Amino acid sequence: MPEYYLALAALLFCIGLVGAVSRRNLFVIYMSIELMLNAINLMLATFARAQNDHGGTVMALLLIAVIASEAAVFLSMIITLFRTNRTIDADFFTNLSQEQNP
Amino acid sequence: MNQTLLLLIVILPFASAAIMGMAYLFTSLRDERIYSFIGIATPVAVTLFSLILGVQMLSNDTTFVIHSTLFEWLHIGEFQIAFSLMADRLSAVMISFVSLIGTLIHIYASGYMRDDIGYGKFFAYFNFFLGAMLLLVLAQNPIIMFIGWELVGLASYLLIGFYHQESGNITAANKAFIVNRIGDFGFVIGLALLFLAIGDKGFGFDAIRAHISLVDPGLLAPIGILLFVGAMGKSAQIPLYVWLPDAMAGPTPVSALIHAATMVTAGVYMVARFDFLYELIPSVGLFIATIGIASALFAAIIACMQSDIKKILAYSTMSQLGYMFVAVGLGAYSAGIFHVFTHAFFKALLFMGAGAVIIALHHEQDIFKMGGLKTRLPLIFATMLVATLAISGIPPFAGFFSKDAILVHAFAGGHIYIWAIGVLTAFLTAYYMFRLFLIVFITPAKTAHRTTEVGMSMKWPLAVLATGSALTGFLGANEAYGGSNLFGTFIHLGDRVHHVDHSTEYLLGGLSVAVALAGMMLAYLRFGKGASEPKADTPWRALAINKFYIDEIYNALVVVPLRYLSILFDRFDTLFVDGTINLMLLGYRGAADAFGTLQNGKVRYYALYILIGISLLSLAMLRMTRSPL
Amino acid sequence: MNMILTLIIFIPILGALLGSLVRASIPLLRLLAIVTSLFVLGLSWILAWYFDPHAGMQFVHIAPWIQNYGITYYVGVDALSLVLLLMITLIMPLLYLYMWREKRHGYWYNMMALQTGVLGAVLSLDLILFYLFWETMLLPVFIMIGRYGNTDNQYNAMRIVVMTIFGSMAMLFSMLYMGYLFFQSHGFWSFSYNDIASLSLDPRTSIVVAAGFLLAFAIKIPLPLFHTWMAPAYGSSPTPAVVILSSIMAKLGIYGIWRFGFGLFESTLEYYVTPLIVFALIGVIFYAIHAIMEPNLRRMFAYSSGSHLSLILLGLMLENVYTWNGSLYLVATHALASAGILIMIGMIYRRVRSITIDDLGGIAQVAPRFAFFFSFFALSIAGLPGTGGFVAELLIIIGAFKYSMIVGVFAALTMIAAITFVFWMLQRTLFGAPSTVTAGFQDLGRIDLLILTPLALLLLLTGLAPSLFTQLFEPALLEMLQAIGRYR
Repeated sequence: MPEYYLALAALLFCIGLVGAVSRRNLFVIYMSIELMLNAINLMLATFARAQNDHGGTVMALLLIAVIASEAAVFLSMIITLFRTNRTIDADFFTNLSQEQNP
Repeated sequence: MNQTLLLLIVILPFASAAIMGMAYLFTSLRDERIYSFIGIATPVAVTLFSLILGVQMLSNDTTFVIHSTLFEWLHIGEFQIAFSLMADRLSAVMISFVSLIGTLIHIYASGYMRDDIGYGKFFAYFNFFLGAMLLLVLAQNPIIMFIGWELVGLASYLLIGFYHQESGNITAANKAFIVNRIGDFGFVIGLALLFLAIGDKGFGFDAIRAHISLVDPGLLAPIGILLFVGAMGKSAQIPLYVWLPDAMAGPTPVSALIHAATMVTAGVYMVARFDFLYELIPSVGLFIATIGIASALFAAIIACMQSDIKKILAYSTMSQLGYMFVAVGLGAYSAGIFHVFTHAFFKALLFMGAGAVIIALHHEQDIFKMGGLKTRLPLIFATMLVATLAISGIPPFAGFFSKDAILVHAFAGGHIYIWAIGVLTAFLTAYYMFRLFLIVFITPAKTAHRTTEVGMSMKWPLAVLATGSALTGFLGANEAYGGSNLFGTFIHLGDRVHHVDHSTEYLLGGLSVAVALAGMMLAYLRFGKGASEPKADTPWRALAINKFYIDEIYNALVVVPLRYLSILFDRFDTLFVDGTINLMLLGYRGAADAFGTLQNGKVRYYALYILIGISLLSLAMLRMTRSPL
Repeated sequence: MNMILTLIIFIPILGALLGSLVRASIPLLRLLAIVTSLFVLGLSWILAWYFDPHAGMQFVHIAPWIQNYGITYYVGVDALSLVLLLMITLIMPLLYLYMWREKRHGYWYNMMALQTGVLGAVLSLDLILFYLFWETMLLPVFIMIGRYGNTDNQYNAMRIVVMTIFGSMAMLFSMLYMGYLFFQSHGFWSFSYNDIASLSLDPRTSIVVAAGFLLAFAIKIPLPLFHTWMAPAYGSSPTPAVVILSSIMAKLGIYGIWRFGFGLFESTLEYYVTPLIVFALIGVIFYAIHAIMEPNLRRMFAYSSGSHLSLILLGLMLENVYTWNGSLYLVATHALASAGILIMIGMIYRRVRSITIDDLGGIAQVAPRFAFFFSFFALSIAGLPGTGGFVAELLIIIGAFKYSMIVGVFAALTMIAAITFVFWMLQRTLFGAPSTVTAGFQDLGRIDLLILTPLALLLLLTGLAPSLFTQLFEPALLEMLQAIGRYR
């Protein structure tokens, strides 16, 4: 019954996607991204199991490690941003916008 | 031998002009003696050479023509022009008196220009002017003639603007060149048409004469008129005469050279040179004569009201040129050239006399500030009297014979109106010339003025010219006056002959003398005792004093519109052309702005764009593979 | 012998490379520039000596380059390019002499690169190679104007590049499309001039493809309505660049129409002849009148240049033996005269830091030599007899009358067109009393004379004995005209 797992993964991914796009709190965005990554992980594991190919499992394990290191970088960046700007509102950081650099 | 002489006649003046010009420009050599030596030796040599050629013409028959080719100037397709010179009887006569009078003017100038800072430059320009005129006269084909023609214009530009510190002089010089160039515009069109008609058979004057009958008769008249447009500019005829009075801005020897020997006579010479062409189109000839007689009358009227001595003489030149065009227009080519010849003497004399007066009075040019100079400047008085009598047409002075020949020809040819206006102009000529003469020399001066002595180098050319003005007329006197028209027989042009009884001739001659005497009488009555400046008290007088406002009209019709057009074009560039380009730019910029707003710097939006992008891509892929999930 | 053209093209840029490798000082750089340009001048004279006016394309050098797409290194010279070649190689050393005291390294490098660009464009016979050089010569000009120019230089530099590249792009598309058509019909690629010329296009395609070329050249010349880059670019570029713009690059537009217009599209050009004649006639008058009120000398001669180039184009489009010879002759003589006058305007700017006519006046009094040369060049631009311009204009006028009466009359207007502004300009620049600006005006020095005398003497010679020069190209032009059926 891999469909259920896949459906769950898709659901998780969509929740993460909507969260990443619509929320302004950097932490929530971060968590949404984690959610999406984990949805992918779940999908990899599901396919690995369904097709009896452990390449997918290896991939999932590798991804967990990457996610962990990414979490370290991301969280420290958020802290640095908060220290310099006293805010973690994503819409505050618009340095790349056209209006600021005409 | 002859060929070499012919080449030297043209090359010498240019060479010495170049040498003097370079010496003046690049060395510190300012010794007036050196410049005047080179400057005078050249025209003397040229005069000698031309007289040698002329004497040979006398002893040979009319087919004796000297040709001399330097090199092939241009060869493009059928356009083959050699840099060739040709001396036949007409050009031999022209170069003889051009160089002779040129020499006298050079000698005069060496005194007139003394202590001028641009002495060397002046003589360089002067020799250049002479060389250009000789090139014009001796050219074997119209293209080389046109080069000389244009160079004469350039030389006049340089000399009229000689005192270039005065911006006004340069305006006069510009006017001379530009008006001449407008005439040349017509001339060059005429040449182009002539060339395209028969140029493939050779474009020397001989070849054109031989093949002129091959030209489409409908084309001949335009060619004749267009060539004459060039002459209008060069010889100051209506409507292109406006530069001539202003050309007085140059030093007086320049005026003498322009008006007497060179430049203005070029137009007449050109028409006489093309006599075979104009002989085929009498209607154009009549047009030329009409323009000529109109110019003669018009200039004479203006001259009656002027007060600047040089301007009066300038208008008198224009008037006399009108007579010459009457002659060549009506087919009396030799009479026309004869008037050119005699006019050269007395007009040079008048200008040089006027120059001497001007120098003696410390550069005073207003005749109403002169007066009673008879006793102070006796030689100038005497020579000026000869010249004035000559130009007024009093026998036995030169002007009578040449002018009379023209008027008789017009009368005999049945052109009574032209003849009548000619007689009227003769009356006016006598009037304004004696007006000038009386006011300057006879009438007691209102204010006393000191005079300075005039140098010898300025005096004896006057004496030579006075002799010429008095005697040269007999060269062309016809049978009625006991001569045998030596000049006309020698020069041998294709004249239209009208037979006239001796009695008619005496009658006409007597009439014009009577008219001239009447003019002199009127002048004496009005100005003999005392003179005052003409006042613009009636509209007609105002019109004449202001030269019929022709300058102002030209200014308003040509100069001002051109300037406004120029400004308009600038606006057109910035508003229309750049405007169109900027409009396109505007669209481009607008698009950039629209896309720019998407890039608001907010990460969440970027994520959204990615989402949309990926969704669209996935949809596309799904559609392409057409496989259900 | 067949390497000679390659040497001529690449020696200048090799000089520049050498200079940059050894980090040359200014005197060394100056020496390099002058020596290389003189060497190239000598080579081009040797070339002219061995040149056979009857033999068509000569000194051809072909080498494979990008073989997959049939792009070759293909250079050669015929009468047409010889005239431009001689003119360029003559003007370049004089420009280096003019730059004698120039302290900025970039100036020298750019000029050397520019020389290679223009020489390459004149000599290359492969379409892609031509395009390459065509753009190569634009870049140094862009840098020269943008970096060393004055008054709005960066904006004007951008403007000239954008407008000319706009045209070049159209030309590139046309070139590529023609290459593709060749591939379709022959099965292999080639961009060589001869191969493309042998292609027979259907009329409709041909009209569109020709339009691409014509647009590029029309902007380069420039024709009226494509001309608004010209005056600003002239106004703000440094003198050497402006000389190249007027004397060389604008002429390359004419050369382009001659070589590629008549070479590749001789039958299609019929559709364009009438509009181009009208444009040219308008140009002759429009630019001349435009120049009358122009207060800036350099911009004034930009318009003057436009007027003459329109006349040259007119002669080209009238397609007869007189106008073609006249046009080619005017290309050379106008280049000399306009180089002279623009260099002298540069000298004015060096001396008094202004080329606004109203600031000047009375130069003739304080600097007679300067006045002599300046008026000589100005008058030769006005087509005075005794200078080559007169001969060329005369030929074009005669040819125009051969074409039609109306065109002839308009062409003859050129006799008056130039004098309307030249004389008034001379009056306000040279004559009158010296202004406060020109009171201390220095006369020409030795180097100045060294620059101007060759130009003046050559101009005089072109006017006195034109057959000396016309015999170089007259037979070749006759053959070209015979080839397109315009001369029996």
